[in-house]
Amino acid sequence: MSALDTPAGLDVPRHHAFSRFCRAFAKRPAGLAGLGLLVAFGVLALAAPLFIGDDQLNVIKVDGPQLSPPVDGYPLGTDQAGRSVLLLVIWGARESLSIGLIATALTVVLGSTVGLLAGHYQGWIGKILMHVTDWFIALPSLPLAISLSAVLGQGAASITIAIAVTSWTATARLVRAQTLSVEARPFIERAKVLGAGNTQIMIRHVLPNVMPLILVSSTLTVASAILSEATLTFLGLGDPTSVTWGSMLQAAFLGGAVTAGAWWYLMPPGIAILIVVLGFTLVGRAVEHVLNPRMVGR
Amino acid sequence: MSSLTTAGPAKAKGQGVRRSDLLPYLGSKLVAALVSFMVTLVIGFVIFSLMPADPVRTLTRGRPTSEAQLVQVRLQLGLDDPIWQRFLTFVGNTLKGELGYSWQFQQSVSSLVLDRLGPTLLLMGTAAALSIALGLWLGIRSGWRHGSLFDRIASSSSLMLWSVPTFWLGMILLIAFSVGIGPIPSLLPAGGMSDPSLPQEGWAHIVDVAKHLVLPCLTMVLVVFAQYVTVMRSSIIDEMGSPYLLTARAKGLTDDAVRRRHAVPNALLPSVTMIFMHLGILVSGAITVESVYSWPGLGYLTYEALRIPDLPLLQGTFIVFSASVIIMNLLADVVYRFLDPRVRAQ
Amino acid sequence: MGTSNSRRGRSALAACALSGTLLAGVTLPAGTATATASSSGSAAAASAPSGQGETTLRVKMSGSGVDTLNPFLAFFDGAYDVFAGVYPTLNSLDEQGSPGPYLAESWTQSDDKLTWTFTLRDGLKWSDGTPITAEDAAWTLNLIMTDAVAGTANGSLVSNFESVTAPDATTLVIKTKEPQANVTYVSVPRSGIPIVPKHIWESQAKNLKDYKNDTFPLVGYGPWTLTDYKPEQYAKFDANKDFVLGKPGFGHMVQQSFKSVDAAVAALRSGQLDYINNVNPTQFKALQADKNLLTIQEVGNGWTGLEINYNARTRTGKKIGTGHPALGDPVVRHAIALATDRKTLVAKVRDGLAVPGAGYLPPAWPQWTWKPAPGEETPFDLDQANKILDDAGYTKGGDGVRVDPKSGKPLELRLGIHADDTDDAGISNYLKGWLETVGIKLKIQTLSMSALNSDLAKGDWDLLMDGWTTGPDPTFLLGIQTCAALPKDDGTAGNTDSFFCDEKYDELFKKQLTTFDQAERAKIVGEMQSILYKADVNQMHFNHNMLDVARTDTVTGIVTGQPDAQGMYPAQSYSFWGYLKATPAAAEATAAKEESGGGSALWIGGAVLLLVLVGGGIALKRRSSADDRE
Repeated sequence: MSALDTPAGLDVPRHHAFSRFCRAFAKRPAGLAGLGLLVAFGVLALAAPLFIGDDQLNVIKVDGPQLSPPVDGYPLGTDQAGRSVLLLVIWGARESLSIGLIATALTVVLGSTVGLLAGHYQGWIGKILMHVTDWFIALPSLPLAISLSAVLGQGAASITIAIAVTSWTATARLVRAQTLSVEARPFIERAKVLGAGNTQIMIRHVLPNVMPLILVSSTLTVASAILSEATLTFLGLGDPTSVTWGSMLQAAFLGGAVTAGAWWYLMPPGIAILIVVLGFTLVGRAVEHVLNPRMVGR
Repeated sequence: MSSLTTAGPAKAKGQGVRRSDLLPYLGSKLVAALVSFMVTLVIGFVIFSLMPADPVRTLTRGRPTSEAQLVQVRLQLGLDDPIWQRFLTFVGNTLKGELGYSWQFQQSVSSLVLDRLGPTLLLMGTAAALSIALGLWLGIRSGWRHGSLFDRIASSSSLMLWSVPTFWLGMILLIAFSVGIGPIPSLLPAGGMSDPSLPQEGWAHIVDVAKHLVLPCLTMVLVVFAQYVTVMRSSIIDEMGSPYLLTARAKGLTDDAVRRRHAVPNALLPSVTMIFMHLGILVSGAITVESVYSWPGLGYLTYEALRIPDLPLLQGTFIVFSASVIIMNLLADVVYRFLDPRVRAQ
Repeated sequence: MGTSNSRRGRSALAACALSGTLLAGVTLPAGTATATASSSGSAAAASAPSGQGETTLRVKMSGSGVDTLNPFLAFFDGAYDVFAGVYPTLNSLDEQGSPGPYLAESWTQSDDKLTWTFTLRDGLKWSDGTPITAEDAAWTLNLIMTDAVAGTANGSLVSNFESVTAPDATTLVIKTKEPQANVTYVSVPRSGIPIVPKHIWESQAKNLKDYKNDTFPLVGYGPWTLTDYKPEQYAKFDANKDFVLGKPGFGHMVQQSFKSVDAAVAALRSGQLDYINNVNPTQFKALQADKNLLTIQEVGNGWTGLEINYNARTRTGKKIGTGHPALGDPVVRHAIALATDRKTLVAKVRDGLAVPGAGYLPPAWPQWTWKPAPGEETPFDLDQANKILDDAGYTKGGDGVRVDPKSGKPLELRLGIHADDTDDAGISNYLKGWLETVGIKLKIQTLSMSALNSDLAKGDWDLLMDGWTTGPDPTFLLGIQTCAALPKDDGTAGNTDSFFCDEKYDELFKKQLTTFDQAERAKIVGEMQSILYKADVNQMHFNHNMLDVARTDTVTGIVTGQPDAQGMYPAQSYSFWGYLKATPAAAEATAAKEESGGGSALWIGGAVLLLVLVGGGIALKRRSSADDRE
């Protein structure tokens, strides 16, 4: 990501740049495939309430066999309460994806703010911010996330915060570097001469130029946020009553699915995580390539 | 999970040429590391003091307890001291190497950590060595011939493995190799570090531990090596356009020799830095793997601490993990300094 | 990972201060019948193979593990499992929970019931050869009585002791402050106080808090000698061939620690382990098909249920906490009870391997079990629940949630559940569904053990999932429902569970303490349970059966007692006898290891998927890199 120091097409009008970006992206099949996977999952997750009702998820209403292998009507078998694993995986996409996306949004906001400020105010403010960033980089992320969510209490909210707090540093460094390079350009000088204030320069001039980079890094952040969510939930820090891929795996593991050989319960959530993480990674890398043509073959 | 800090397989941060002298350089790095450590202590303390908890009731629920006993336990755990006093005791003790007093194990956290350090180092060391070797070798191969079938298999499988949750991979391997596949019942033990019914010394013991090590180690290697492949591959590709390689080829060196004597040494630089930085992260990967395989190390200890939660113990493991990351980063800086020919030449 | 093992590590085990199981004179241990693994058909060949000294019994360490080997500080049952094997006690416990001889050969009570005289066996020796005398026992008990640190774990057991003396090597005299009928429960294996050798521990008394007690072999006395222990890994034992209550059937024993029961089950299946105490229902059902395994159900010695914060207050009656005011209304509590389908919870959450709950004391100790009289049971009746709420003026708001007419607050209740408990998560989903249909909205809060206990003490909760196990003496478990268990005004002390406080109940509690006739006492205890049942404050959901698995080709006799008509064995929580009586089985059916069809299907499925995905990746990659090279 840090290799992205020469984003293409930043000085040309933005809508123009966007269509050029789309054309370039369309030439990258891996990225397209990743995008396809993501769109498919996204659509499923969004449309889930249309075909999954309370009747199929509410434990007091379902009447399927308990922990049964795939049978008629239950293509991926059932869980211990008799719910369809297929529907659970689809429903789980909602929570898992939204935790991943919200955590990423938090990460991006936090990281960009710190990075932008540190890059713009190069005096003591910038120095302090960079020191803080360095300290956070030195903290081991999983133990920190575990400790944080243990302190904040179980649940999706604390997991989201823990992920954001442990992953904003990369964005901050990236944005700071980019801010420095943008601010060195003549048009910022021009704006300053014309009397633009600090806020105006940062928001109106620097931010739009840093934005593409933030988007790239956030695509990759979603991937790791989803992995982190699953890991933290698996370690028992999530909400065991909600349906996410992580909590399904935790329930399967604690409930003895390994011993029962309930592969239909264990495989689908893991594969769903794999596909989505892979999707985000492929898209992120494709975007990175498009924005930085120097990265041939990577 | 290495995934928490690095968003995807990323390239090492490029560090410019350093012109300072060696000693001041090392000194400044050391000071920075110490400051980092102090900040870690503060952050650690703040996080764990925020948490409302009543460990006494949790711990004593196993036995019938009287009020006098509850008071005694609170006293023993130092729960009634004012917060500033707890902070001073905490910093003082940590610098002395004492990490507090575990609630659930009723003994010093330092002794618990020391007990578990060995198994974690064994697992991590083996996993790190194997994944570095495998990652670098694959990275060099696929970078040198990027686009080849070999490269495509290596890159896509490492990408795939990177996307897998570590604990899930652990569970799958557990079922496959420990519960049994088809007619072959169970190839490897399901958990722990040794079979206690065998003698605990000599060759038999070493073989036994090695058998227990296979699955946790394999899980970690599979997830971690992908990062090294990506980094090494990128560095090699970076180097390939360099003019000095053209010169080397022009001298009539074989492709193999150009790769080994020129491209690899130069490309190693960013990778080595990256590897050291990742070693610290690897430590935390131990948490999930050790939990799945009941490997009696620091990660497992963290998991144990999480159950109550046993805050002094959680805090202790947090500090140890942070310290290891800080030390690895320091080493990365030092190694970089020694390896970089441009810096050495000064 | 956190399993349902040793649910929350709470158990009010047998011995408690002040109890009244009357034990006139000497009771010999009822013959602990040995159940052979009859299902395997190889029971006839259960004779020990040659080289018996080399046989090793391999069991899974108790779920919560060992916290410390220092018996003065340990709280976890894993530690007491170890102590039961390596430290002696005054009395033993038979499978019905009655005390028998161990170090003590016989015991008598003075007429005023204040002085107990134990006659100890002569000629027993600690594992280092030093004789075991009454002075060892007196010193251990005195240390716990006088030293606060030594009393950390077991102080309450001796709180009614006036003095403990050893007039000679084989006589121990215990004087109590008040009459106490259960002195013979104070030092019993696993739930009572282990006696330690004075000559070893005397020098450690000053430094007890930091003494780890890890010099091996541990000097002690019992069926086993602890030869090695690695935290979180294993404890290794050698049999004590001269053990006074019988020679262990195995030459050695290993207790191995497993974090995940699945890993332990895998080890059991592949023959690396002989016995697991407490698996979960899914595992149990999966293992029943395995011909090499004996799966047994023990009668449950605990309950799982719901606590309702109906009126959190201190001893002086000061209101505390943030409980919902409507829970003070018996109608709301009864509606919750009516809206709970215990049979479905048993069927779905425990896979049928439990008994629907009603009485407060578990079925493992039939002398205390109580059932509501016919016609007094609370049925599962959602319509009735709706009706009584309607009648009491709780009208439904626009969102379907009823509103408390007195406080004007909607009936939105918090339900605290344990983060590490899969049963809790399961039950809470059902409760949420049922209560929603009667107009009560549940907000489920997942909490760690510490956070939950902290909230409980402060009264900052509405509903909590809860569970306890108990030994044969019910005093402690009944005691946590008395007014004396409420917290003080400063928030300290008190081990109440639901802030229950009822005058009639307290009166009966005192009465049963001094009632020495067993049947009479059982009647009073029954009345107390009836009060609890009608108050709807502690709603019992089920008593789950304990599920154990043993290998039939390596071990027999580890399960003690005989199954009842339903195939349920008596409670086995005192592993003391099981480990002692287990003998090696003839290694006859070593072959025929079960293969796991599910496992292989999983494996093949995974491999195929991986192959497809990798293949796809390659294909894509090829095209993309062709692109790059242009």
